[in-house]
Amino acid sequence: MTGPVRTVARSATYVGLTIVVFVGVLMALPEPAPPEDAADALPEASFAIVRVTVFDGERFRPEQEVRVEDGRIQGVGRWLALPPDLPRVDGRGKTLVPGLIDGHVHTFGSTLNDALRFGVATVLDQFSDPQLVASKRAARDTLARGDEADLFSAGMLATAAGGHGTRYGVPVETVGGPDEAPAWVRARKQEGSDWIKVVHEDGSTFGMDIATLDRHTIGALIAAAHAEDLRAVVHVSTLEHALEAVALGADGLVHVWRDALIDEAQAARIAEAGVFVVPTLSVAASIGGDALEGELLEAAGDTPLSPMQRQTLASRFPGGDEERVSNAGDVAIENVRRLHAAGVRLIAGTDAPNPGTASGLSMHGELRLLRRAGLSGADTLAAATSVPAEIFGLDDRGAIEEGRIADLVLVDGDLENDLSLSPRIVAVWKDGYRVDRSRVHQERPQTQSASPAPETTLIADFEDGIGAAFGFGWQVASDRMQGGSSTGRLSVESGALRVEGEVAAGFPFPWAGTIYFPGAQPMQPVDFAGREVLRFRTRGDGRTYMAMLFGAGGSASVPAGVPFTAPPDWVAVEIPLVRFPTDAPGVIGGLAFVAPAPPLGTFAFEIDDVEIR
Amino acid sequence: MATTGDGAPRLGLARRFCIYVLEARAQFLSLARTPGFTIPTLVFPIMFYVFFGVVMRFSPLAPTFLLATYGVFGLIGPSLFGFGVGFAAERDSGALLLKQTTPMPVAAYLLARVATALLFGMAIVLGLFLLGAFAAEVTLYRGQWFALAGVVLSSVVPFCALGLAIGAWVKAQSAVAIVNLVYLPMAFLSGLWMPISLLPTLVQDVAVVFPAYHQSQLALKVVDMDQGGSVGVHVLMMGVFTVVFLVVAGFGFRRAGQT
Repeated sequence: MTGPVRTVARSATYVGLTIVVFVGVLMALPEPAPPEDAADALPEASFAIVRVTVFDGERFRPEQEVRVEDGRIQGVGRWLALPPDLPRVDGRGKTLVPGLIDGHVHTFGSTLNDALRFGVATVLDQFSDPQLVASKRAARDTLARGDEADLFSAGMLATAAGGHGTRYGVPVETVGGPDEAPAWVRARKQEGSDWIKVVHEDGSTFGMDIATLDRHTIGALIAAAHAEDLRAVVHVSTLEHALEAVALGADGLVHVWRDALIDEAQAARIAEAGVFVVPTLSVAASIGGDALEGELLEAAGDTPLSPMQRQTLASRFPGGDEERVSNAGDVAIENVRRLHAAGVRLIAGTDAPNPGTASGLSMHGELRLLRRAGLSGADTLAAATSVPAEIFGLDDRGAIEEGRIADLVLVDGDLENDLSLSPRIVAVWKDGYRVDRSRVHQERPQTQSASPAPETTLIADFEDGIGAAFGFGWQVASDRMQGGSSTGRLSVESGALRVEGEVAAGFPFPWAGTIYFPGAQPMQPVDFAGREVLRFRTRGDGRTYMAMLFGAGGSASVPAGVPFTAPPDWVAVEIPLVRFPTDAPGVIGGLAFVAPAPPLGTFAFEIDDVEIR
Repeated sequence: MATTGDGAPRLGLARRFCIYVLEARAQFLSLARTPGFTIPTLVFPIMFYVFFGVVMRFSPLAPTFLLATYGVFGLIGPSLFGFGVGFAAERDSGALLLKQTTPMPVAAYLLARVATALLFGMAIVLGLFLLGAFAAEVTLYRGQWFALAGVVLSSVVPFCALGLAIGAWVKAQSAVAIVNLVYLPMAFLSGLWMPISLLPTLVQDVAVVFPAYHQSQLALKVVDMDQGGSVGVHVLMMGVFTVVFLVVAGFGFRRAGQT
């Protein structure tokens, strides 16, 4: 038997060797080379992102390839067949998410570009100037290259005469009663509103008392919207109003209430009604004094912010009823936790650019706040992508799957494990085109060269009237420079400058006060190189004012402001120039002390001994 | 086929293993020494690949596409011929009857044929893959290389079953002709030579009746160039084909036993 056994052994060895060689060759065959990072220069809307973790709108899928062809997603899969000459982006170690959808914004200025640069490819605007909305609408229906997020909007809001929304400078056609509702809704539909937004706000959480629609009118508006085949969402800020809106048939609530915690039965009722909620935790946190400014500035890293983003992020809501306001953020988060537990559909929305938020950037703060409310990473991202897309019928976006628009955000890091990495954006694509995230979209005014400042640090002590040590001097200033209708008046009383006037509606951010021009002509910039701090003394009616620097860009540039309070007794205020959110705080075309809105109405304060040292 | 009846001697495990290996070795050597078998089965798929995958490419993705289809094509050859022709020849020459009188289990004979087809298949896969990778710049992820090799090599099961069915029914003299009559038209009509999407719609509609179509669609799925059918359906179809072929073969043996 030794002969056959040896033959068997030899044969088995040959077969073993053959298998080893076979597997060895398979191990040695070439794999696709890691792409040279083509992300930086992609002129065409056709490319592929390879070996990336994809959040498809519902769950994370590792090691995927995503192919984009002419602005649309053409394929998603693990082993996609890609033409050899198709440009590739290396997705290893990165996460690809659908272009984010911000469920609550207001549109003006640079908000749409600001949003897009931070990965928000679509915004659901909950009240803006209908004319502005109309001018932006065409862009959402094309796959042409653009640098703004797509806009869907409620257009004008439904509110009572003198109610919330009437004081932002956009003319508002108010609703007088239930009888007016059908005609009002039809007018919105003709104007191009994508849904109807109804305001239920009596100002109570701000310690104010403002006119609001009664429940019959709200019910009539919702019914009229449904009759016109439009969704109706309701602005609420109290639990009572929220439950009332749900009972009246609202499709969605576009804030979470900050006054009380919802109980299980109430949350279940909202879930059963199929009503969605856009909590806008970002503004709730800002109202509660916990705006995520520092966290978001750090998160933005080297990505430039627009002047408007910096300004709105740095500004704050004026204080109200202290006790109620101070825990607004926590109450809102706890309410979201309970709504989520009850199965209520949630949509991420920031309410940017309200004070304490920045368009686009705040979406990443909103994601963090939703995580804090107990949503999983995937649920949070779904609330910012597939959920709003489904609820608002935007079936061409909100997911990474074949046929959808190639609105994509590539983030460095594993978002499945740590969603707080979401601001680490490597690239944003809109309609398949790479978005230039370094270029802030703004009509930059012509800048003038700055002349050096005189030696003296004292600008004015008002001992001899409204004078100044140098420069063009003091003027009344208000939003009239920008098209608003606020007023101001200057006088000198006992060696101090008295500023009084009225902040009135007529501009998105109404303000009034005084401005000092250090140059020989108004807004001619002066270079205060080496100076570090703005000092002055002030007293007044106790409200919050802003010190604002107008830079070299003149009145067309967005001013950079720092708030201060004017108490009944004289106090000294010192503001380091670096605190002004501007690129070059030392170059000053104008220095203003103003009363910002809200609140609207009259104001009075005094300033004295103004120095830049 | 009564060798495993009660009278058969009981074999130890080691001895059984020896018999399996020796039978496989004998069949492999016998086939390897038959140029009429080796040359067409080994050379045709490689040659076709050189023509259409390396020298003239209809598209940049052709080398990858043809790796899958010529791989399946390459595996059908040894599977069909080994059983269809080899089995019929041994039966008609009496060699099979001689083997039946030995204590060798029937399974050893069948497995030896499958193993032989598999070894030839591995040689074909290696040849195609090396050509594709180094002459046609095909790059695939590691998992894809292995998955493609696995799907292609798994073709031996259904096509050996088909070969067995043919071999059970036809005489040795006509076996080569019959196998070729099945082999070549099926390969063409299933889209193994040129992409099925380039064939007339009628042909595309009829293709679903061929096992080669479903097998090649599974292989093409690995490189994302299939027609989009579901994996489950293709696998199910291959399973159904295999069972049907085995049943047909069984009837063939019963008929042979009766005459």
